Amino acid sequence: MSGEALKSTNLRKVYASRGAPSVEALAGVTMEVRRGERVALLGRNGAGKTTFLKIASTLLRPTSGQIEVFGFDVDAAPEKARPFIAVVPQEGKPFFHLCPREQVYMYLRARGLSRETAKARTEEALERMGLTEIADRLSVTLSGGQRQRTMVATVIATEAPLLFLDEPTIGMDPFARRDVWASLRALTQKGSTILLTTHYLDEADALSDRLYIVERGEVLVSGTSDDLKRSVGGTLKVSMPNGAAQIDAFRTFGACVADGIHLSVIVSPERLGELMDLAVRSRLTATVGPVTLEEAFLRVVGRSIDEDS
Amino acid sequence: MRTPEASSPTRAFRGLAAFFWTEALVQLHEELAMATSMVVQVVLLVFVWILNPGLIGVALIGSVVFSAFALGQRVLNEAAYVRIDHKANDLYLAGPLSPEAYFLGMAGGILLIYLGPVVVLGVLAVVVAHLTLGTGLLLVGLSGLVWLFAASVGYVFSTFFRDNRAIWAYSSLFFNVFGVLPPVFYPLGLFPAPLHPIVLLMPPSAAAAILQSTIGVTALSPDALTLAAAGLVVETAAIFLFAIYWARRTVRSK
Repeated sequence: MSGEALKSTNLRKVYASRGAPSVEALAGVTMEVRRGERVALLGRNGAGKTTFLKIASTLLRPTSGQIEVFGFDVDAAPEKARPFIAVVPQEGKPFFHLCPREQVYMYLRARGLSRETAKARTEEALERMGLTEIADRLSVTLSGGQRQRTMVATVIATEAPLLFLDEPTIGMDPFARRDVWASLRALTQKGSTILLTTHYLDEADALSDRLYIVERGEVLVSGTSDDLKRSVGGTLKVSMPNGAAQIDAFRTFGACVADGIHLSVIVSPERLGELMDLAVRSRLTATVGPVTLEEAFLRVVGRSIDEDS
Repeated sequence: MRTPEASSPTRAFRGLAAFFWTEALVQLHEELAMATSMVVQVVLLVFVWILNPGLIGVALIGSVVFSAFALGQRVLNEAAYVRIDHKANDLYLAGPLSPEAYFLGMAGGILLIYLGPVVVLGVLAVVVAHLTLGTGLLLVGLSGLVWLFAASVGYVFSTFFRDNRAIWAYSSLFFNVFGVLPPVFYPLGLFPAPLHPIVLLMPPSAAAAILQSTIGVTALSPDALTLAAAGLVVETAAIFLFAIYWARRTVRSK
């Protein structure tokens, strides 16, 4: 059995359609996910995250390249990889005419789990996702966030060796998102491996052991969240709401990003005092905080994650 | 590493029973759809009763065949709906559930839940048309083939659409051209003779014609009977095998 849970080599996907130019969604993605890791694919809408996940989860054929799940070639022998995986599809919904308890239990039974195991895991997953009180209400009556929690509960209950989650917390409130994060951490402690896509930077920061930033079908950078933050060139961010006009004066301290009249400067702790002196002399209001993934993303991609590709 | 739940991942129909019950539960909660599943059959029976009460036995037999066709055809809408609106195929098929089990579980679950009223129609057909045990069994067997044909066509067709709205028109066309228009609720002899070969090659009207011939309402030549029976069996087997192949193939898009 392979050492990696997932390994892709130079994976390409080109969507061809009649009467329209071909679109290269993946332009040679090489990556690996080790067993027991939580890895995030981070990128803007249209960056290629979902395409990669669909190929990895055996639902889409690549144009070229290779991808393996636990050593099984996903393209050549998808039926061998499928027993090892479970997927929360993007925009997936539970059956509207099943209640969450039925949805999770029946899905586990369809995967071949025994009645006893399915029942126990169903109750555990419903509890973890805060669905116990609404477990017997038809999903058609649930909110969008509750339906999404049902989908996540359905898949985490499988405890499959490799879980793919495509934007798993979309539409959820902050509390529910944290429930999901806690459940995913617990799953990896049990031995599962998780690959998720997200465009929530805080989610990738809080949840992933490593992350890959994807842009226009290519992996631009990979590493831990701390690695990426360090790559920005400093550990502190100084925000000056009216500082954009004086950007040139601050360039010597580190990377500067002007957004309208707002200016952000990345600076090392050693030079913070000097920068704050300049801000005071320039009559600018300045606040200091730690560098976040947002700055790292901006530096690597050159655009905010909220902008569409 | 823990052993995944699929100890025999190549088993063709693994998960069939569980997905069958999943679909049955889904349908069971659709009370309105269950109540309206017999509307067309009842309306057509009323028409026949008003226009020619002597044909009500033939119409009742036809209503059973038609119901089997309609139940199979529900797979078209259901499979498209859960794929397009719910992404349920992604959830289920990126896992150990086999594509065959997904297709047949869905079709079987729908059949089970809506079968009750069809059985009532069948009992009425036996009583009113004085069917023998053999003819009754023939009715069940032929209806089963018609169901399998419609379910297979429905599943294959469902994979061609990206929008549910687009399906409605085709679904209606399929329903009326194969089920309502041809001589299913009325004797074959009332249908224009030059078109008999066509309707004898359409599974619902072929099944109905064989049954009408068996009870003596329609006189079918040996050639016509052979055409209807062979057409029904061969077409059903061919489309069923193709649906199995197609279910496997369409798990992954290109």
